Amino acid sequence: MTKIGLEIHCQLTNLQSKLFCSCKANYREFSPNTNICPICVGLPGSLPMLNQKAVEKATMISMALNCKTPEKIAFFRKNYFYPDLPKNFQITQFDAYGPTSIGHDGKITIEGKEIRIRRIQIEEDPGRLIYEGTSEKTQIPLVDYNRAGTPLVEIVTEPDFDNPKQVRVFLNILVDLLENLGVSDPTLEGALRADGNVSVEGGNKIEIKNVASFHDLEKAIHFEITRQQSLVERNIPIISETRQWDDRRKITISARKKEEEQDYRYFLEGDIPWVKLNSDHFKKLREKMPESIASKRERYVEKYGITNQVADVLSSDKYYADLFEQSHDEKNAKEIANIITTDLMGFVDTREKRETSKLTHQHLTELVNSIMDNKITRNSAKTALQEMVSTGKSLIEIISEQDLDNVSDESTISSIINEVLNEEANAVQEVKEKPETVNFLVGKVMKKSKGKADPSMTLNILKKKLGIT
Amino acid sequence: MSGHQSWFDLNLGISALKYIGEIKNGNLTAEEFISKTIERIQKVDSKLHAYLSINEQAVEQAKSIDKKIKAKENVGACMGMPISIKDNICVKGTKTTCASKMLEDFIAPYDATVVSKLKAEDTIIIGKTNLDEFAMGFTTEFSAYGPSKNPWNTEYVPGGSSGGSAAAVSALECIASLGSDTGGSVRNPASFCSVVGLKPTYGLISRYGLISYSNSIEQIGPITRTVEDTAFLLNIIAGMDPHDNTTIDNQNENYLNDIDSGVEGKKIGIIKEMTHEGVDKQVSAATNKAISNFEGLGATFEEISLDMVAYSVAAYYIITATEAGSNLARYDNLRYGYDFDSEGYEFNSYLSKARKNFGPEVTRRMILGGFVPSAGHAGKYFLKAMKVKSKLTAQVNEALKKVDMLIAPTVPILPFRFGEKIDDPVALFLVDINTVTANLTEKPAISIQFEISGGLPIGIQLLGKSMQDKMLLQAAYALQNTVKLPEVPI
Amino acid sequence: MVSKEEIEHVAKLMRIEIDDHVVHIDRIQKMIAYFDILDKANVESEELIVREQTIDALREDKYIPYDGKLIENLKNYKGSYVRAPKLV
Ligand SMILES: [Zn+2]
Repeated sequence: MTKIGLEIHCQLTNLQSKLFCSCKANYREFSPNTNICPICVGLPGSLPMLNQKAVEKATMISMALNCKTPEKIAFFRKNYFYPDLPKNFQITQFDAYGPTSIGHDGKITIEGKEIRIRRIQIEEDPGRLIYEGTSEKTQIPLVDYNRAGTPLVEIVTEPDFDNPKQVRVFLNILVDLLENLGVSDPTLEGALRADGNVSVEGGNKIEIKNVASFHDLEKAIHFEITRQQSLVERNIPIISETRQWDDRRKITISARKKEEEQDYRYFLEGDIPWVKLNSDHFKKLREKMPESIASKRERYVEKYGITNQVADVLSSDKYYADLFEQSHDEKNAKEIANIITTDLMGFVDTREKRETSKLTHQHLTELVNSIMDNKITRNSAKTALQEMVSTGKSLIEIISEQDLDNVSDESTISSIINEVLNEEANAVQEVKEKPETVNFLVGKVMKKSKGKADPSMTLNILKKKLGIT
Repeated sequence: MSGHQSWFDLNLGISALKYIGEIKNGNLTAEEFISKTIERIQKVDSKLHAYLSINEQAVEQAKSIDKKIKAKENVGACMGMPISIKDNICVKGTKTTCASKMLEDFIAPYDATVVSKLKAEDTIIIGKTNLDEFAMGFTTEFSAYGPSKNPWNTEYVPGGSSGGSAAAVSALECIASLGSDTGGSVRNPASFCSVVGLKPTYGLISRYGLISYSNSIEQIGPITRTVEDTAFLLNIIAGMDPHDNTTIDNQNENYLNDIDSGVEGKKIGIIKEMTHEGVDKQVSAATNKAISNFEGLGATFEEISLDMVAYSVAAYYIITATEAGSNLARYDNLRYGYDFDSEGYEFNSYLSKARKNFGPEVTRRMILGGFVPSAGHAGKYFLKAMKVKSKLTAQVNEALKKVDMLIAPTVPILPFRFGEKIDDPVALFLVDINTVTANLTEKPAISIQFEISGGLPIGIQLLGKSMQDKMLLQAAYALQNTVKLPEVPI
Repeated sequence: MVSKEEIEHVAKLMRIEIDDHVVHIDRIQKMIAYFDILDKANVESEELIVREQTIDALREDKYIPYDGKLIENLKNYKGSYVRAPKLV
């Protein structure tokens, strides 16, 4: 049986400062080595000052993944030499003295399958290595410490996945969950990273590292399963090892054989006393925690009669969910949900578009209420929505500028219909034979009225004129 | 007051408190005192090698303080008093070498918290003092820049690792000094050089800017010629620091107030394991005399046994090696260190070459630090050491429920000659047996100069309850006033 | 007794070349042999005593830019990077 486990690294991008110093948590805007201080470059004499919010956010992740949370958390040193690691040890968590990392023994259910979470721990990100020079021979490794000390939460699952598809579903749900919690922005490059481990029936566990994206991880796992199965079929033993994903060739390759076994010499970080987490801490955070995606989804369906499919889309995307929460009332909820998941989605489907969008929740309320009061057609609403996103203008302004107000006066619609009936003799004939094709003519009328004709009134008049029901 | 004191009879041996009084009275200027101190350093330090570097701006700084005093501007409490700083504590813009070739070119870009606090009180940092490389040792013989000498007899070690600090204070090359104490590194040289040395409660003084050796047990501590001066410095440097997560709120305790309250009615425990076996006869006699002096002041005594003391030195070396192995891993010479180009080297081989600049003792401790906490050996060594630490702490806590403080000689033996113990690591281990307990248990402990025996100093150590550093200073003050010691011969 | 090979191996892991082998190895062996004393301490069942703090004691999450160009105080490559030796 195939077993797959994951190790996910999630940067707490929504924090202001790094894990142990006051440098900025979001290092992306800085030129090399300008977001550094004595602490995050590990200068002699500097000491780590643990970020309170990082512990809170990590606690939230732990609770959201149904983990057990300890009464005291401890920090440990993981010792190894690498140029991007300024102290040549990483401050992380470890369970040498019983469970003292921020969470353990959690679970989430995906498509009816329970995935167990082994451990959740807080740790610091290393810096970044870049290479100057083109050929492999002349390359100079250079270190940028801007990222060093960025707060990370590592989530380790049990090997509970059976196939890459489950991995994908899990990661999608996890991304939504982390975003919904307000702990991390998954659209930021490098904010979420995952390593995997794979074993097939009759073989040992293989770790896969160096995977740039979740998408690649799925491919790498897929490749590994196929590779391992073919080894088993040929009776070639699978030796436990770490393999790297080669993004160019789309294969995994054995990481260079280490001349030494890794021994991280974990021991307690004396500079950070154990942090006591009393029930008040958990209670306070539970109150602060946003409603879970599952609970939102359920509420949308049950309270507003929104369809399962729409509720799914709406609840799992924090941007949409937040807009919905702010703009709806009991009467217009369903319509707002529809507008968001059909029309708005096309206008704000990337991080950049969302950042530049001028749409507010007031816009949305106004727009949907106008549709419901027949002041504007659904069609015109879409045009207005796009205008709101790009200019932030009010509905009234847009209606008057673009002449979008609803045409619901019977004689105007009637004369447009007459024009259409004259122009579309063939279609008229067809509708008379097959009344269900009447929508073709409705569409023509809408087009002629620039989307402003009231659709239900149009249909009624058309039916009357053509003598169909 | 008798007007201006002459240049020549200016006494460099005055205490910090006396110095401040003389400055306030106008009998002395900071410039006079600093100039004279520098003259003294020039005269004796070629023999003692207490300093690794001297502040070239000291006289200028003294002048500007004098100007402020004259203009009746606000002046800090130290009024230009010269203080030296162990060279493992960062002073902004100056070399901080840890007496290692590894940090030959390291210039600290910031001040340690203790240094900022001293500067804010108009202290003049007169220079950086010598130590065993990275504070690993008890003689200063492991300094990469050569040992310091004992001012009482330059053929003898000054103790360590803060040997430069203790020698400088003892030889009147400064009024006071800050050292660091990981297993006795303040108290041991204080005892060997006949001065006062305090290892405060863990967390009382910020370690920000102290270059870590074994961060879970070490503290910065003052070295002074009088107990009052230690109390005075503690008032300045103690307290919570937003740069050190392990500091404790001391409620702005004033350690100088009521320093003369005495020991009447106090119960003192004599630590059995530190006062009998392996204790030199003269040291033993001095300890008994100290006990009887205390009795004369109204204290009572009982013997206390702490059987974990027998394992304390092993536990101490295992814990310190483990932490040092990790703390010193950052010295890979990539970001700072000394001049050695990495061109043409592979990462690991460059590190191994660059780190050859560690001296022999540091090299050995690094290897120990790689060995005792490793996956295959942690159970036998590191975890056991941590448990000994815990059990020792429990035993000391238990004892301090029965008595107010504990007493023992600071070092069981007299100062010894250079080269005498350096070749036998286990013999050198046992020099620490009386001092490591305070570090392992986070307790405050102070060494007070008590006797000069055959020309060699003997110090007495008191160990107190956590955050009761003040009670310890009061007792030390009382003991100090029962003896009159000769002046330093150099 | 810890073997010479093991000590050499640990030295390599700690990234320090050792020259005067004999002296180092002899002393390290003596030190480690001394640590055997702990086998008699009988502390296996001892609970660990640890230092603790409340979550309120932790640093507030606030961005405070470092005052100064720290990279200029480090060994730097063209004023903006730290150079590392080749990683094979
Ligand atoms: Zn920083």
